[in-house]
Amino acid sequence: MARAAPLIAAVLLAAAPALASEWTEAEVASVAAEAGLDPAALLLPGDSDYGAYLAGECTACHQASGSYDGIPVITGWDPVPFKLAMHEYRSGARAHPVMSMIAAGLGDEEIAALAAYFATLDD
Amino acid sequence: MTLNRRTFLGTTAAVLAAPMVKAQAAPRVVVVGGGAGGATAARYVAKDSKGAIDVTLIEPSRSYYTCFFSNLYLGGFKQMDELGHTYGGLAAGGVNVVHDWATGVDRDAKTVALAGGGRVPYDKLILSPGIDFVDGAVQGWDLSAQNAMPHAYKAGSQTELLKAQLMAMPQGGTYAMVAPPNPYRCPPGPYERVSMVAHYLKINNPTAKIIVADPKGKFSKMALFQEGWNKHYAGMIDWVGSDFGGDVVEVDPKAMTVSIDGEVTKVDVCNVIPAMKAGMIAHAAGVTDGKWAPVNAADMSSKADPDIHVLGDASQQGDMPKSGFSANSQAKVCANAVRGALTGSKVFPARFSNTCWSLIETNDGVKVGATYQATEEKIAKVDGFISETGESADLREATYLESEGWYAGITADMFGAKA
Repeated sequence: MARAAPLIAAVLLAAAPALASEWTEAEVASVAAEAGLDPAALLLPGDSDYGAYLAGECTACHQASGSYDGIPVITGWDPVPFKLAMHEYRSGARAHPVMSMIAAGLGDEEIAALAAYFATLDD
Repeated sequence: MTLNRRTFLGTTAAVLAAPMVKAQAAPRVVVVGGGAGGATAARYVAKDSKGAIDVTLIEPSRSYYTCFFSNLYLGGFKQMDELGHTYGGLAAGGVNVVHDWATGVDRDAKTVALAGGGRVPYDKLILSPGIDFVDGAVQGWDLSAQNAMPHAYKAGSQTELLKAQLMAMPQGGTYAMVAPPNPYRCPPGPYERVSMVAHYLKINNPTAKIIVADPKGKFSKMALFQEGWNKHYAGMIDWVGSDFGGDVVEVDPKAMTVSIDGEVTKVDVCNVIPAMKAGMIAHAAGVTDGKWAPVNAADMSSKADPDIHVLGDASQQGDMPKSGFSANSQAKVCANAVRGALTGSKVFPARFSNTCWSLIETNDGVKVGATYQATEEKIAKVDGFISETGESADLREATYLESEGWYAGITADMFGAKA
């Protein structure tokens, strides 16, 4: 999987430069190691159409406009930290009753799709 | 106009080759009811289809007052205008908003009849009418008594009336609630309301009492509410469950008395929350089986008619509680399926979630939530959580602040972001 990562990152850059992460591979590898995650999970490109559908589950609380009224803003994030946060909720490294429950229902592909979609929304 | 359109189309060879009906009209989605289910469904179908589907929302009210958070108005934490939302955002988003009552559905002709006259044709109909009350559910009470004994379970004038009656209570007076049997809208709602009434009375009328006659033996977040009531409102609230005759109730709206298991009490306010059923239009459309409208979990389509979908409180779907959050969640699954059926867009698998926050006292918030999946049989619970008794004040305050954020979030998701 690790060997596939640079290729995926390259494809992502070529396909949608505006959405590519500003994180370097080395940085991703470093945070992945720290979080005990496979770096491929953080580099996995997402289908933003699928993300747009899945985002319905998020926008019941998090505002798509990027406004803040007591629930954290999740629009305009770089995809890498977005994916990292969701993986940490799923693993239990981050704890929040609602987020842990929602993340438990998301696979790597779903997390990547959400990261790709929310990156397209301005904060 | 039709003539012009035909003349114009007739000049284009490519269009002539296509069936005229398809060339002329975008598919039509009609949504009845502009609450958490209907407003969300209308908004999402319009937003995601980008004009490929004509969306009409039929909703009698020009200003919609959310039932969720209306207890906080009773407690003095919210103003009524903070709970009111208009439909301008939906109109700006391409939804044709019609302020009228839908009175009937002709499923053969595929039209919805309006009280103001006329019929609205549909290809797919989404019903999200919320609840109505079951006649004769509480002995002595019917809708004609709703001024003497308000239900305040559809928000707006009823909520304001109940607040006015609460404020007019004599010192040391008695507030009674007749709680509803399962299933009903917002399972923790009656108990959050008891908490908010107690909060108001503790400050303004500390010797007043609250009696709750409950046809159930237990209720949502029971341990959390009872812990909070003992902590904040000791001695004020008398909850009478079914084990103690709370299910044997009769009210007299003229005499302002409540009889619980034969014991008659003169009260100053009586909040009667009767048993509930799907809103009228679901019954008129013939998609109900008993009180509710059974639906397929995968897309919220009616089990009686594949071109009708039923959302929210009115639907009988399985494990999800009847809540605004649930209706909003179901609406997005439904919108995705309806759009797919009408335009061929990709339909993703259904996924549902719900979280319900309740306020017990200032900065003392609790919550319960779950995720759900569609099975052949029903919407089935996957995973869930609930606040715990004995949580720290900081956590309870954070939970309350989170609920404020959720309110802003879900209302933006329903009606579009505020300009």
